[in-house]
Amino acid sequence: MSDPVETAREEGRTTLTEAEGKALLSEAGIETPAFRVAADADGAVDAAEAVGYPVVVKVSSPAVTHKSEWADGAGVAVGLESADAVRAAVERVEAAADERGIEADVLVEEARDVDAGTEVIVGGLRDPSFGPVVLTGLGGVFTEIFEDTSHRIAPIDAAEARAAVEELRSAPLLQGYRGSAPADVGALADAVKAVGDLVAERDIAEIDANPVLVTSDGAVSLDALVVLEEA
Amino acid sequence: MNLERLFEPEAIAVVGASRTEGKIGYEAMANAVEFGGRVYPVNPSGEGTVFGERFVESVTDVDDEVDLALLCVPGPAVPDVVMECGEAGIGGAVVYASGFAEAGEEGEALQSEVVSAAAEHDVALLGPNTSGFVVPETDLYASFASGVEEVRPGNVAVIAQSGGIAHVLAFRTLREDRGVSAMVGLGNRANVGFRETVEYFDGDDRTDAVVLHVEGTERGRELLETCREANTPVVAYTVGKSDVGDFAESHTGALTGDHELYEAGFRQYGVPTVDSTEALVDAGVALADSPEPAGPNVGVVTAQAGPGIIIADRVQRGGGALPGLAAGTQERLDDILPGVTYEGNPVDTGRPMPEFGEVVTAVAEDDEVDIVLVYELFEEALGFPVDELDGLADRVDKPVLFATEGVEADMADDLAALSEAGVPVFASPERGAEAVAALVRYAETNERSEEVSADV
Repeated sequence: MSDPVETAREEGRTTLTEAEGKALLSEAGIETPAFRVAADADGAVDAAEAVGYPVVVKVSSPAVTHKSEWADGAGVAVGLESADAVRAAVERVEAAADERGIEADVLVEEARDVDAGTEVIVGGLRDPSFGPVVLTGLGGVFTEIFEDTSHRIAPIDAAEARAAVEELRSAPLLQGYRGSAPADVGALADAVKAVGDLVAERDIAEIDANPVLVTSDGAVSLDALVVLEEA
Repeated sequence: MNLERLFEPEAIAVVGASRTEGKIGYEAMANAVEFGGRVYPVNPSGEGTVFGERFVESVTDVDDEVDLALLCVPGPAVPDVVMECGEAGIGGAVVYASGFAEAGEEGEALQSEVVSAAAEHDVALLGPNTSGFVVPETDLYASFASGVEEVRPGNVAVIAQSGGIAHVLAFRTLREDRGVSAMVGLGNRANVGFRETVEYFDGDDRTDAVVLHVEGTERGRELLETCREANTPVVAYTVGKSDVGDFAESHTGALTGDHELYEAGFRQYGVPTVDSTEALVDAGVALADSPEPAGPNVGVVTAQAGPGIIIADRVQRGGGALPGLAAGTQERLDDILPGVTYEGNPVDTGRPMPEFGEVVTAVAEDDEVDIVLVYELFEEALGFPVDELDGLADRVDKPVLFATEGVEADMADDLAALSEAGVPVFASPERGAEAVAALVRYAETNERSEEVSADV
């Protein structure tokens, strides 16, 4: 597969599609769910069979960056267990895309049980004053309400990445809470380091691996948004 | 860039010197004449003398090798004057005028002109938009603020982004009976910025710690790297916590404010940060006057329980640990004071007593302890254990800090003796504990970077 950053550059885009973003994360050593991109409902059903039910269907288009807010929720359909459900989801995406006059494919992805782990945001950006930086925070209210995030100037080593995770006030949630199994903090720290390396090494303006689902046996990025620097 | 002629001049010119009291050219001249070297007032319309020095028409007319020029001229005149200074072979200049990059497009253009003029002649230029700098040891008061000649020599270099804060910090050291090796207000940082000054004072023999006041710089990463490379401890106060991103949006851009990056970056690069001008000066003193702390373990000795409790709380909140004392130390304490109130950590003697100094020594010699903080209310009949504290930190090779309270006049002689002995003294349990916390953070990050370099 060609380099996703180069592909986007050749097409004059600064925003990578989710598939391209995930390919980039995957190359950097961050686990992503199995997925395929399909152009229509038949293709989507084939894809669902290939990755295995249940699946998630998401809109895939350079014109859509915030998929879950797009078209009143038509952009993301979760927990689809049958070919009919997949077809219905694809039809909603197609209708919404037609209405908005944009080209859109769908991304069909193996569903992960988000209740089996903790959602974490791992992000990176190129700051005008500090250069590449990497951010870590627990998802949802911890980040949005309690502002519980940690930052590092990238690139960082594994120990620094682990410190960035462990300094979060909500970090104890990752150690196992009310009988839940401790999360794989090492895998999360590796993802933090990898995102920092990506911003430091590639011409990325901003990258969001959000959420990264951290379970007892790994950390998997369920979404990827990558914006390149203006050429 | 060479800052030696800026900060260690032999001869100074005050350009725009004036005989009219209240004018910046008068105030700057009034402070400048304290300098031990030669001082030349420069003003084409000046007649006779000012502060006993004869006016010279232009810097190019001074019959001497002038190192430093203090420019008390209006903003628009600055580019030409800098050019003249360059032609006269002057190596450093302070530009007090405002109306440059801080004041919109026209000001930015004016600043570019100044920078080019300085670059052409290799002039190290402090400012514009600063109230200047002082080096008390050489009586060099390159500031127009009144009273700066009172600021005492010391071993902490104060570098502030704002000239006003530079003076706030310098006057605070004065009130606290401390001193500075230098106080520098950077202002607009035309060509002398954080990197240049931190590097300079890192190499300055009179400076044992550098304290920074940072509002924001477009060269944040460079500042961090400079601090990490410095051998002299650096501590920073970064302003702007309320100026954070919009947390309602859960993406990295909105979650990353400048303040977070300064705090995280300084920590990552081995620079403790503090939250007030007071704590900045305190941390500077603790770092400057102490052997390098080896770790986060703090031994606390107190003559009163209440302050000890506050200290234990603050030290731990600040990242320090209060380890149990070694068995040998506990035996020693038992011998010194049978039935001591509490011989854990903090060690609480219950009240000041003649043996207090021995107790402090026993704790300081405990291998479990990396940093010692002593608290004692002043007791006139006993005084402070000056003899025991004198030289203790150097002998055990760890910081020993002292905090106290009492009637100022009664304590004066003992405080002077502690100061003479080089013991950092703090005026409240909280301030002593915060200074210790800064030492802990310094030890923590520098231990980690030593591990990293040991791995290489």
